[in-house]
Order: sequence, then C-alpha cells, then structure tokens
Amino acid sequence: MARTRTTKVLAQRIDLNYFKRPTPYKRAKLALSVLVPLLALGWIGWRGFSRDSRVYSSGRMSEAHAVLEKQCAVCHLKKERAFSSKAVDSACLGCHDGPVHHENQIKAEVPECADCHVEHRGRVNIRAASNESCTECHGNLKAGDGAVHYATNIRSLGDGHPEFAALRQGAKDPGTILLNHATHLKPIRRGPNGPIVQLECGDCHRTAATNAPWTYGDAQFATATVSYKDEKEFLPVRAQGLPRRRGLDGREYMAPVKFGTACAGCHSLAFDKRIDEQVPHDKPEIVHAFVVKKLQEYIATHPSEVRVLRDPSRDLTGKPLRPKVRVLTASQSVAERTDDAEKLLWRKTCKQCHVLENSTGSALPRIAAGRITQRWLPHAKFDHDAHRGFSCVSCHVKAVSSKESSDVLIPGIANCQACHAPGPAHAESRCFECHTYHDWSKRKEVRPTYVMPGLQTGGK
Amino acid sequence: MIIDPTQRKWALGSLAFFAISTLAYVLYAVSASSGPRGGSFVGLIFGSVGFAFMWFAALLGARKRVPTWRLGRAQAWMRGHLWLGLLSLPLILFHGGFHFGGTLTRVLMWLLIITVASGLFGAALQNYVPRMMTTDVPLETIYDEIGNVRKSLREEADRAMESICGPMGLSVDTAEEPLRAGGFSALRPIAASSAPLRTSAAVSAGASAAVAVAAERIFLNAEESAPLERFYISEMRAYLEDPKRRGQRLGDANKARCAFAGLQTLLPAAAQATLKDLEEICDESRQFVRQERLHHWLHGWLLVHIPLSLALMILGAVHAVMALRY
Amino acid sequence: MGGNANSLVELSIDGKAVQVPAGTTVYDAARLNGIAIPTLCHLQNQTPVGVCRLCVVDTGARVLSASCVRPVEPGMKVVTNSEKVLAARKTLLELLMADHPASCTRQNRSGDCELETLAKSAGIGASRFTRRTVSRGEDDSSLAIAVDHDACILCDRCIRGCDEVKNNFVLGRMGKGYAAGIAFDLNAPMGDSTCISCGECMVSCPTGALTNKVVVGTEIAAGSDSQTFSVEQLHKLPVFAGVSGTFLELNRGAIVQRRFRKGEAICREGEFGSTAFYIVEGKAQVAISTPIAHVKTQGGGQGFFKKLSSILVGREEDKREEEARDRSIPIDASVDLSYGNPVAELGPGDLFGEMTCMNFYPRSATVRAESDVVAFEMLRNVLDIMMKNKTFRAQLDNNYRRRALENHLRGVPMFAQLSPDFIERLKQSVELVRYGPGQMIARQGEAAGSFYLVRIGFVKISEEYPGGELVLAYLSRGDYFGEIGLLGGGVRTATCTALDHVEVVRIPGEDFREMMERFPGVRSGLEAVAAERRAANAQRLQMVQSVPIDQFLSQGLMEAQSLLILDLQKCTRCDACVNACADAHDGVTRLVREGLRFENFLVATSCRQCRDPLCMVGCPVGSIRRRNSLEVIIEDWCIGCGLCARNCPYGNINLHPFEVMAEDPEHAGWQKAVVQQKATSCDLCTHLKEPSCVYACPHDAAHRVDPRKFFAGIVGRGSIS
Repeated sequence: MARTRTTKVLAQRIDLNYFKRPTPYKRAKLALSVLVPLLALGWIGWRGFSRDSRVYSSGRMSEAHAVLEKQCAVCHLKKERAFSSKAVDSACLGCHDGPVHHENQIKAEVPECADCHVEHRGRVNIRAASNESCTECHGNLKAGDGAVHYATNIRSLGDGHPEFAALRQGAKDPGTILLNHATHLKPIRRGPNGPIVQLECGDCHRTAATNAPWTYGDAQFATATVSYKDEKEFLPVRAQGLPRRRGLDGREYMAPVKFGTACAGCHSLAFDKRIDEQVPHDKPEIVHAFVVKKLQEYIATHPSEVRVLRDPSRDLTGKPLRPKVRVLTASQSVAERTDDAEKLLWRKTCKQCHVLENSTGSALPRIAAGRITQRWLPHAKFDHDAHRGFSCVSCHVKAVSSKESSDVLIPGIANCQACHAPGPAHAESRCFECHTYHDWSKRKEVRPTYVMPGLQTGGK
Repeated sequence: MIIDPTQRKWALGSLAFFAISTLAYVLYAVSASSGPRGGSFVGLIFGSVGFAFMWFAALLGARKRVPTWRLGRAQAWMRGHLWLGLLSLPLILFHGGFHFGGTLTRVLMWLLIITVASGLFGAALQNYVPRMMTTDVPLETIYDEIGNVRKSLREEADRAMESICGPMGLSVDTAEEPLRAGGFSALRPIAASSAPLRTSAAVSAGASAAVAVAAERIFLNAEESAPLERFYISEMRAYLEDPKRRGQRLGDANKARCAFAGLQTLLPAAAQATLKDLEEICDESRQFVRQERLHHWLHGWLLVHIPLSLALMILGAVHAVMALRY
Repeated sequence: MGGNANSLVELSIDGKAVQVPAGTTVYDAARLNGIAIPTLCHLQNQTPVGVCRLCVVDTGARVLSASCVRPVEPGMKVVTNSEKVLAARKTLLELLMADHPASCTRQNRSGDCELETLAKSAGIGASRFTRRTVSRGEDDSSLAIAVDHDACILCDRCIRGCDEVKNNFVLGRMGKGYAAGIAFDLNAPMGDSTCISCGECMVSCPTGALTNKVVVGTEIAAGSDSQTFSVEQLHKLPVFAGVSGTFLELNRGAIVQRRFRKGEAICREGEFGSTAFYIVEGKAQVAISTPIAHVKTQGGGQGFFKKLSSILVGREEDKREEEARDRSIPIDASVDLSYGNPVAELGPGDLFGEMTCMNFYPRSATVRAESDVVAFEMLRNVLDIMMKNKTFRAQLDNNYRRRALENHLRGVPMFAQLSPDFIERLKQSVELVRYGPGQMIARQGEAAGSFYLVRIGFVKISEEYPGGELVLAYLSRGDYFGEIGLLGGGVRTATCTALDHVEVVRIPGEDFREMMERFPGVRSGLEAVAAERRAANAQRLQMVQSVPIDQFLSQGLMEAQSLLILDLQKCTRCDACVNACADAHDGVTRLVREGLRFENFLVATSCRQCRDPLCMVGCPVGSIRRRNSLEVIIEDWCIGCGLCARNCPYGNINLHPFEVMAEDPEHAGWQKAVVQQKATSCDLCTHLKEPSCVYACPHDAAHRVDPRKFFAGIVGRGSIS
C-alpha cells in the first residue's frame, strides 16, 4: 500500500476555493494596505485641518521668513485661474523694497525676487543669491560696444573671476605720500634721538572706530585744526560700487593714515633748535607764517641773539667763510633764520614724505594732493573687522618688502580664494559676499501691512 | 520575476533612459540660476515623469485585480513595474535636486526610497527563493492549503497506523469538507452509493482513483506493534499536529531518518511498508515547514512594499496638487 | 444392456443384498437403498456421462467403474467405501482441486461448490500437484451469468442442461487438453451468443464456473407503489417464457412493477442507478431540467461596468461552431432531445434507462409521468433476459428502427433530405447489432462494409501508430461512423471498438451506396465531414512521435496535447494564474496550482487535452466532447453527474455548485434560484484568445505547451543518460 502521488490525489487535497479564503498573510496585507494609506491620509488631513501648511513646504524657510512657514498664501498669492509656483514680487514688496540694480537696466531682464532669493532651502540666509543669478548677466564683462575688457565666462569667485583691478598689470598706487613700508617694518629708531622700536601695522593702520591710544601719535598734531581738507587728499570712496544696505560702523575699512596719529611720534617737525615747538602739519603758507611768528617772538625775548657767531662745524671747505661774528637786526635775523628753517623744511622734513611742487623758487612750495585710495575694491565690499583674526601681513604680504609707495599692497584675489571657496570647509564664496545687487541708495520706504496677531501662528 | 537575458531590452532601455535623464539633469543643474529645483520647468518634468512611472508601477496592483482585461500581458506590466519603478527613484532625486525638502517631501522621499529598496529586495528574493523552493521542497503544495494538507496527512497517517495496528481510536474529524479540487466532489455521491464501479475497462484502467480497493488487512499483535504505537502516539502524531514546535526529533531530517531506521529494526516485515509511508508523511510535513518559511520570505517583503507604495501614491498626489498650487 | 426392463436384478452393495430393476445404474441402485455415493458430473435429470469418475465403486472387476453409468448385473458385489475406492476418489478430488480456484465464486457466495465440499469432507488440504499456469479465462460478456473457465471441471452438466433440458443448443465443448472448456455457439462470448440467459446452465453447474451475476443489490428497493412478482407470475409474462425457474428465483426482486401517479418523477437526471424502465401503460415526459448554463463563461451581461469590462477584456462570443445548427442531445431513451427544447414523450412499449442499467452511467434525463404510468423497473440481468426474448426484441427493434431512422438519422441535418420511401426501405434492411466491452466493431485495414449509427454505449475510434494507439474520438449515442471507409478506398482507416455495452444500427454498404447516389446532398455533406475527420486525424497522428522516457510516460505527459506548466524557478507562487482563471470563469477556478513536477516544471492541474480523453467515456448526455480542433470542452447542458470528473485520471475536471434560475416546481411559471452542480474544465479561454492564466502570469512562469515539443530537449537528453 505504498503511497502514490498522482496529480489527482494531490489535487484532491486542495480546497477549490482556497484562493478566495483569507490567510493571515492576506489579511495582514489587506489590513496594512488599508491602514498605512489611511494613516498617511489621516496625517496629511490632520495637518490640513489644523491649518498648518508647513508639511507641504518644500523645505524650511529662511531665518527671516521662518515666521511665515505655516502661511503659504502670504507669499504664494493666488493668481486668477493659475497656480503660482513661486512667490510673486508683489508679495515680497509688501515688506521689502528691492531697489533696482541699475537705472538703465532693461525692464524685461529684471528678474523676479524669487529668481535670486530662493526660499525653502532651510534656515539659510535668504539674501544669499546663487552665483548663477549674477553670472547670468555678469558672466561676460562686455562693454556696451561688445568688446570684452576684462573677462568672460565668469562663474564664481574661483572660476573665471578676474584679478582685482587695482592689481592688474601696471596698476600703481596713485598716492603721493612717500612711504617705504619695508623700512618701517624693520626695527627703526624712534625719532632723531629716540630708541629703536619695532612698528606694528596697527600702529598706523586702524579703522575709524578703533579707539585705542595711538602709539606713535602726538596729541598736538592729532587734535590740531588744519587748513587742508581730507576730501582733497583722499580719492573719493563710492566711485563705482553700490552702497550697502546698512551703513558702515567704521570697523570695516582702515581709516586713512594721518600724520598726527601715526607719524608725529617719530617724524618731528622741529624747525629751529632754539625753539622747541614744531611746525604744524599744514600747508606751506601756514607753516611759513608759524615759523616767522615763532622766530619774531624768539628775537623779541632773546635780543642778544641778533649777534650771530660763525659755527665752525658748519664751515664747509671751498666756500667763502662768513664773518666770525655778525650782528643783525631783529628782522634780518628773523628773515635769515626763517630762510634756514624753511630750507630745512622744504628740502628735508616735508619732502621726506610729501611731493613738493615749485620748491626751487623763492616762492613757497605747494604740497601735492595726497591722492590716498580709501577703497581699493570699488565694486565690492570688504570688512577688515571680519578678518580681524588674521595678522595683517598674512594677507598683505607685500607690505613687508614694499619699498615704493606706488606699490599696491592689497592682497590678490588668490589670497581671498584660499578661504573663500565653495564647500563646507570654506568661507562663503558666492558673489553676494562682496557684491551688492540692489542700489540701496534708491530705497523707498514701505508701508507696514501686517499686524502682529496675523503672523503669530507662525513657526514654533 | 527572474532577471534573465529576456529582460535585456528593458534593461538597456532603462539604462539609456537613465543616462539621458542624468545627462539632462547635469546640464540643467549646472545651468540653473538658483540650482536644481523641483519647481522649475525641468524639475517639474522630472517630477511628473517620475510620478508617472510610480503610478504605472502602482497600477500593477490594480492590473492584477482585472487579470482578464486585455491591457497587455501581465509579464510586460511586471517588467514595466520593475524597470520604470526603479527609474522613478533617480528621476525623483533629480526632481528634488537631491534635496529632501520639507516635511511632506522628506516623508515622500523616504517612502520612495523604502519602496524601491523593498522592491529591489523582493526582486532579488524572487530570483533566488523559487530555485531554493524548487530544490528544497520537492513535495511542495499550495501555501494557503498547507493547513488542510497537514490535516489530511495526519488522517492518512492515522489510517496507515490503524491498518496494521487495528483500531486505535484515533479521532476522526467530521468537520464539513470544503469543495475539493480534482473532481473530488464527484467521488462522494458514488462512494455513498453502493454501486460497484464498472464502467469500461479503459476507464477503470485510467481512472484508478475512482476505484477504491479494500486492502487485505494484516494486523500486528500487541507485542509487535507496541514500539510503533508508542512512537506514533507520543512522537509522530504530536509532530504532525504541530510540526513547527521546536525541539522535536522528527523536525530534523537526519534525526528523523535515524528514528525511522531504529523502528525498522524493531518491526516485523508486515509493518515495513507502513513504516515507510509514515516516514514519507513525516518528510512531507517537514518540507511544508520549510515551504512556509520560504514562502514568508518570498512574500513577506510585499507587506512593506505594497502599503508604503499606496501611501506614497496618496501623499505624492497631495504633494503634486499642493506644489502646483503654491 | 440386455435383460427385460421389468425383470429385477439382485446384487449386494457394501454387503447389503438389494434388488433393483434391470438397467438401473449402480449409482441409482445404491441411492435407492440409502447408500450415498459422491458425484460431480451426475445430475438426476440429465443423461449420465461418467466423466468425473468420482462415483467409482469396486465391482470386483479389474478396474473400478463409474457407478453412474455402470448398469447393475446379477450377483454383482459392489463395494462403495473400500480403501481402494476411497483412495481413488481422494486422488481424483486432489487432481481436480489442483485445477480449481482456491475458492471459487460459488463457494465464496453460498458455500455450495460441490467440488470443494467433497474435497473438504475427504480432508484434502493443499494439493500436491502443480497448478495450471495458463488461465483459461473468464467471460464477463453476459449480463446475467458470469463464466469462469478456470473453475470449470468439464462435467458437461451445463451442456446437457442447455441441450437436453432447455433444448437451446447453445452450449458445447471446445478445445483439447488443458485448453478444453465449454463454449457458447462457436466459441462466442456468452453475451453475444444466441444464449437467451435462461439460467439452466448456471443452475446445473456444480462449481463456480457458471454463476449468477450479482447485480447491484439483487433487489430493487420495494416502494409502496411497487409490486414484486413470483416466479409463476413472471412465467406468465410472455417475455419470461422459457426462462429457468431457478434463475428467476435467484433474481427475485430484480423486476418490479411500479405505478407512478401523474406528475411523479420516474427517474432524475444525474442520479446513479442500475435499472431500466419499460412502460406498460401511460405516457411519460422525458426532459433535461438542468438549466443549460454556466459551463460556458457568461461574461457580457448588464450594467455599464460589465459592458466596459467586456470591451476591455476583448471577450469574444464563446461560439462553438456546432451549436449554430439544431443540435440534439442524445439521451438514454429511444428519443433524442433537441437543444432548444429538451422535452420528448415516451409511451407504452418504450424502454428507457438502458445505458444506466447496462453500463452504470448516470441517468441522462428526468422522466416524469404525464398520465398515470405503469412500468416495469428491472435490473440488468432481467433486462438482459428480456432483450434476449425474441418477441420482445422484435418489438423493441421495430420501435427503435422507426425512431432511430426518423428522429435520429433525419435529425442530423445532413440526412434530413432523405425521402420517406428510402427511410422505409432502410427500416427493412438495417440491423441492430450489439457488442460487448472490448469487442471490435471494425478493424483498421479491413474492407469497409457498413455504416454505423451508435445507439447505446461508447465506441472508441483509434488509429495505430508505431508503439501505440491514438484515440481519435469516443463516439456516443447519435454519432455515426464508417463513412470514411465507405466513401474512400473501401478500407477502414481506423479501428472501432466497443468500450462498453454498445448497440449500433448497421446500415449495409449497398444501402449506404444507394443513399449516396440518390442523395448527392447527403454525399457531399458526408464527404466534407469525412475529409474534416481525416485531416484532424492526420494532424493528430503527425504529432505523435515516440519519445518514451519513464517519468514522462508515467505522469501521462505523453498523452497530453497541451499542458499548463509553471516554471518553478520563475514562479513566485503568487496565484495570479488561479485568480485570472477564476476571473475568466465567473469566479470559479478551473486550474489548481498543485500537481506533480516534471524537471523544474509544475504540471498544474488543468485539462491536458488528452489524446485519449477518458473523461468523455460515459457522459450520459454527450456534453463533454472534443472540438474539431483540439480542446476538450464541456457543453452547458451538462447535468452535473460527475462521471467525467471521476474518469479523469488527473483530477482536471471539477464539479462546482452554481446558483442558477430554474422553474419553481411549486409555482408554475415562477423562477427560483437553485444550486446546480456542473462540471468545469479548462476551456483554454477560447473566448479570450489566450489562456488567462498564461496571460496573467507576471513572472513568465506559466505556459501552455505541447509537451512533446516543449520537453523534446529534456526528454532527448534523458533518453541518452
């Protein structure tokens, strides 16, 4: 009675309707297939019911807009018979004024706010526009005539950005103040009889907001009122760049180096060894008047000084000797001494740093305008304060070795790119970091639209 | 679905599609002013094509509900399901520019990833497990019917035992019989009537199942049958009742073989055939345990795949509507 | 044997002096004097022949003599129980027993096998002699009497009973030596001989060689309205004249007279039974009441969704080409039912239920009494006796010829144009011929003689091919065959064998040829059918190649024309095929994903379209049949008897309860939902162009294949290894 396996015997073990009968597996499948979608639907329904539309958001909103997370419709204004996939400008303009970029920008090419300011990218800075939104127009730096002047195909700071204009081939510092940075950065004697000192960059270069006492300044000069105007000495700042949205706090840029605070400590403006006072750091006319006045006062108080003894140490061979003792009139004495003092000043003291025009004649010389550059990067912004952790020479490497004042000592773009590069290991490198789009000088005021309670249901 | 050379066309097609869309994505991602976004034109195209693929994949479930509708062979649907479903993942990743976005989109993305992953897992299993089932479970039956078949095996074993040991009072389940296949119900009225089955020689030769011949009964005496009875009652019947309980000797193929070999030496020749039958029954029962396990592997992943894909479709639709609205 | 018949002879038996008339045999002399001598071949009412020699006695002569034939002689000293006599008898018994079945049918049934009784009393156990190794065979052809030649001891009692007692002269001897035995007519099977089943031989037989066949419970369950007959009463009925009283006694209760009131059901379709009915009085209505439905898939239907789905499904009308014409449903009576209106009437003298009675097929139709009906209900052996009765048979024949030729032959549209006078002529010349199971009606290669119309039973049409036999068709009632041979070269192209008790109407060749000449329409129609059949046969034969391999054969895969196989390495057991099947067939699956494996394929339980469709054998209404192309289909007039499902060796046919609307018997004109069983089997989704299971398999695992082609590679490999 061996067991036989025939198709018929096998089939007869099977319930004909087995496939209609539920099994635990089928039940589980059915239950899950109903339950999970219901759960999903319930969840989304609950969210919808509790009027919290954050779930639909394609990402978290920027810091500034976090308060709007639950309220899609604030930005996504409903258009008539159309879906609005991005926020309309009118929604943005409800709170913000986005001044136009250029006056002469073609209207059709003005992008919408949301084209550059992409929301729902997490808690990011909404102002951070992508490189592409800039390079779309500014990728090729063509002039109106179509010629390429500087660069084409600019994509980012690291890719195609040209070197700073100030550092281009042949570019020179237009300033007329003569300074040898190399000498100043070596140990140097402080003043004619002073000790040897080592200057720091910060001894001369400081932002306007720095309030530490100056090491090498002289209060007399620092506080003195001068007749020349800074504006005439400095090149204008906002030559081409757009203004920042918010004003400067004085820590961003180095203030121009001033004689009174930076130089006077060492560079004495003494003009006569009998007189302790130094000439004011001012125009030659003022200096002349000061010298004459001081000498007249001196003669008046020291009448004996009209007798002039020949100083043998100044007896230069080959020259006719002066009489041993000469007695001059007071005015003669003043004139002679003035002449001596001014020779010293015009030929040496002033000329050490300034370019003097017409110094050979008898007339007073004219000091050439300083032409000091205040902003080397006219189209961009830079913040020294943000970089304060770095020693100056780590960027301004050339300063240590620069012997000519015509040397432009700002670091090259490569120096910036060392830190400012894409990726999490680097500092921000997008265009907006340095360049400004909106012309905030044309800013208009916005009338407030929202009331507090209306937005209070915002993000937690 | 087994991945074999017949899938080449689909595979190459999908690969080509993937390559083209990757290329498109790269070009788009590089050129887009504010990076790849779902809401941009290209992003929407990626999104809608990906979503369409997902829908197609999900429609397989609906397709299976109407197997006879001539909407294309199920096999083609399955291949489409497999390949297009797979393609939907990169397309959706392209759609989102590899960002997971907000809550809903994040949930969607994870649902999609899990669904595709479970699908891939399932496809891998379907390549592997059926072969295993074929070699490991030669006596395989229909999974849903394992319970019934087990019951019938137990009854068969009871009958086999009673055929040599005499009535043992093993309970006979008289529960209502279901409608059985194999022309089973046709046998019942005949069995009920006492009519001997004498149709034609041809029929009785062929349809052996119809003719039940009462076998000659040789009962063992009490002494002879004692070891078998003891074994059967204490061990084998318990095993047949619940073969999945752990620690049973018969649950292990080798131990079972030893057990039966031991009995073989104890029993007279008249019982050997029955013993062999019992061993076969045990073997079958054991194979069913294996079959169940393999079946759970083969189909278990669907418990993840199907519900999540349904949720995905629903939330995906919500996302599509909301995203187009805002 | 001289001497006066009246003179007395004196002799002594076992020392006892006895006086008997001259001419008396020793056996009779002993019997008269109360001395028992065992006999086997001797019967009181028959001429003694002395063949068994068991009655030997010692008469003092040189050898022992058989007392049954030895006349007494004066002064004879007879010893009946000496050592020598007993030893001789014992040896004889032992020899006879050596050739006797361990216990024969008679001994088993009633314990009265004379040989075994004697052997037992002589204390003979296991015989010392070798048994005969060649069986002389059995003859099962008679419906009433079973013949077991092995149990025959050649005592000739039956022969003498048949010849001397009944004067039928059917039985005689045949063969020599070991092969010697009794024979009917010229060694014809008993059922086909001129034997009238009177039963005389059977009651004469001392052993189990001739026994009464026990038919399903020899008695018909008697109802209140039934009336059993005594032997005397039966003998009064003309059809039972001349039948052995003992035989009738044995079959008492096998015939009853029943009365049915108007409207009462005489028999119901689908029931299994074992009796036939003969209407004596009254009229009965025969009808198929099973609603014709559901085997064909319904589809279509009402409602928008259903219509839509129909379009999507691409469902074609399930057209079964033959349905278009007015087809008749063959039933187990002398009339056929038309497909459109399956109702007919039967009257006195009609016999119905023959198929059920003779072949144990289920009832094919429901018969209800139209008026009060008196009918005989009889079992097979009684029916057989009646059929053997010449008058009864003549009447039956007459009835049938008329109906067969009118309804049945002319019902086939092809023959509709036969003129009445020709039909009349045919009535005279046609012949009703009966064949027993296995008997050949026509052999392939023989000269074709006649045209046949099947009346009862199943005829297997097969063709031989190298290494086997291919069954081309199973023909049942109403089918015809033999036209190919007659129309073609005059040679039979196929072998026609009776599968069970078959009765055919034989139309002689001359009449057939005349018919062909006179009615060219019939000729062209028949020729078309013949050509079609020939083409189909040729196609089938062509598919046969002999690629035998054990497993392939043992699973019957060779037999299949189309297999549903599932590649187990691809199949994920998802049951999509089963669901698709159920979906395509009104929610009922016709395939079961279980079965035997062949290589790494599962041969699913679904119709294989066998070359030899056993399922078709026995369908009482001919609703399961082969289409002209290939597939085996079940027509929707199936009555749900389940015979096909039982016959299918592979379990591919299932019975399903369907809920159908039927006429409410209690309220005329009302419809009522009833549960009706119908057989279902794979129809290859012919209405859908492609099997749904294959179409719906997502894993490319399910295929419908021709096993020979598909497994050719595997089988080829297997045969080498």
